[in-house]
Amino acid sequence: MTLRTRQLLTNLILAAVLVIMVLWVLFPFYWAFLNSIKHPADTFENSWIPFLQFQPTLEHWRAELAIREIRRALWNSTVISIGAATLAVALGTLAAYALARFRFHRPQNGTITTWFLSQRVLPPVVVVIPFFLLMRQLRLLDSVWALVMLNATFTLPFPVIILSQMFRELPVELEEAALVDGASRFQAFYRVALPLVVPGLVATWIICMAFSWNEFLFALALTTKNAIPMPVIIAGAEHTRGVQFWFVGVRVMLTMLPPTILALLAQRYIIRGLTLGAVKG
Amino acid sequence: MTGQLSKTAALPARRRRRDRTSLFFLLPAVVWILLFTLFPLLYALFTSFYSFRFGQRNQFVGLANFERLFIDQNLHSGLRVTLIFVVATVTVEMILGFLLALLLNRELRGKNILRALMTLPLFATPVAMGYLGITLYYEQNGPINEFIRFLGGQGIPWLSSPRWALIAVIILDVWQWTPFVFLVSLAALQSLSPDLYEAAEVDGASGWQLFRHITLPLMAPTLWLILLLRLVEAFKVFDIPTSLTLGGPGRATEVYSLFTYRTALRFFDHGYAAAQGFLLLFIVMLIVSLLFGQIRELYEEGR
Repeated sequence: MTLRTRQLLTNLILAAVLVIMVLWVLFPFYWAFLNSIKHPADTFENSWIPFLQFQPTLEHWRAELAIREIRRALWNSTVISIGAATLAVALGTLAAYALARFRFHRPQNGTITTWFLSQRVLPPVVVVIPFFLLMRQLRLLDSVWALVMLNATFTLPFPVIILSQMFRELPVELEEAALVDGASRFQAFYRVALPLVVPGLVATWIICMAFSWNEFLFALALTTKNAIPMPVIIAGAEHTRGVQFWFVGVRVMLTMLPPTILALLAQRYIIRGLTLGAVKG
Repeated sequence: MTGQLSKTAALPARRRRRDRTSLFFLLPAVVWILLFTLFPLLYALFTSFYSFRFGQRNQFVGLANFERLFIDQNLHSGLRVTLIFVVATVTVEMILGFLLALLLNRELRGKNILRALMTLPLFATPVAMGYLGITLYYEQNGPINEFIRFLGGQGIPWLSSPRWALIAVIILDVWQWTPFVFLVSLAALQSLSPDLYEAAEVDGASGWQLFRHITLPLMAPTLWLILLLRLVEAFKVFDIPTSLTLGGPGRATEVYSLFTYRTALRFFDHGYAAAQGFLLLFIVMLIVSLLFGQIRELYEEGR
């Protein structure tokens, strides 16, 4: 085999692998989308190309969006994820700045960082009962605020770890100059350092948002009617009459699209953010 | 926890004295987490010593709940299912994710789009994927069985056979979490300095030697870290088995967290559920502490 054919062969294999990977990743999304625009009768046939093989319809989208519970669930999910992400990023940014710019003794910075990360070690199922009882006491059962607070708590490690690395990469001289000019430490943080990490801020905000949007265990345990978010409502898509592919399709799309679209939009920042945070943290 | 300015942030002398603002930055997050995890943990510990029955007062039962852990066959089944799940998913995800990262670390046309696509499953709602899985794995005309038949095989009873149901859950988890391994590995690969490779190439090292003697050792700490994170998350798995199979058929996919959830919120056996929770916490902590030593060693070697 000449070098050239070998190269060609390698490239062919590479291309094949990549095509398979892309299909593997995208197929479930496409499948959900297909089912959401098929007439019920069409879902029992394997047809893959709308307009050519079957007549697409938006009736299920309309029917599902007309359901009050679904609209409310979309709203609840939005409030929960935006609220939790904002809270987590606000608290996390401050802590990240502290870990990047100050040196702590007893416990030291490394220990504090590890402690933040260790929040992910705690299995949610350990604390779901105490939360259930606590929220009942506080009359916050079936309230979105309970979920905002819990999701903020469990996503807090992301902003702390990712952003502290970003702050560390900023030249300190800028803040020093501001301090010399008479700014307070907080002003130096707020006016100088913070604007420079906005891309990282957006990336971590989106990560927190997506994870809060997707959270299921606490949502299932703490909501019964008013505060039900999308991941819980999707459980109702399976009817006693059997799986209704088309409704599953719409609900899956409604649930998965917001976080995935956001993630896609912020892809560059997320990869950069994780590069810095997860690896060197 | 009084913070002092690090040396890098040298400041005028009168400012350098104990800067209490450091606490202003750090404490809100610390207090918040303590508030929301310390209390529930202590409360769970408290309930684990009590028997909680409907229509009765809570009764102190000492270690009885913990003793039940040893004899409960259903719990052991849940633990076994979880162990199989953890070993299978984490192994496959680590290998696939790392290989994919190596592949997409090369210069490729459209690599940015490919990288973006490969990370998408990470953001797809797991419970939604579970429900979608019901239609994907559908026995008669689901796309997966259709594909297998197209290749000349026979349809697989994905969700009705205990063995296949667990495999179905594992496959979905691999779909969802391989991107995590991929993303973090890729990030680490990108931060490796090209100088080393150039030097080794000048010395005539082959592709495999480069990988074996440069990439792998440099990636080792990151790979251990990813392994740790994936193990921790896999032990806590709940969403996918709950939505795809509800733990069935029988108990074939009833993972530990699902079993505990049912103990607590289906049977309201709070004390016993709390004891179960602590066993899971203990297992996860054990893994963390075992792996953490390994990771620290590697990082220190690297310095």
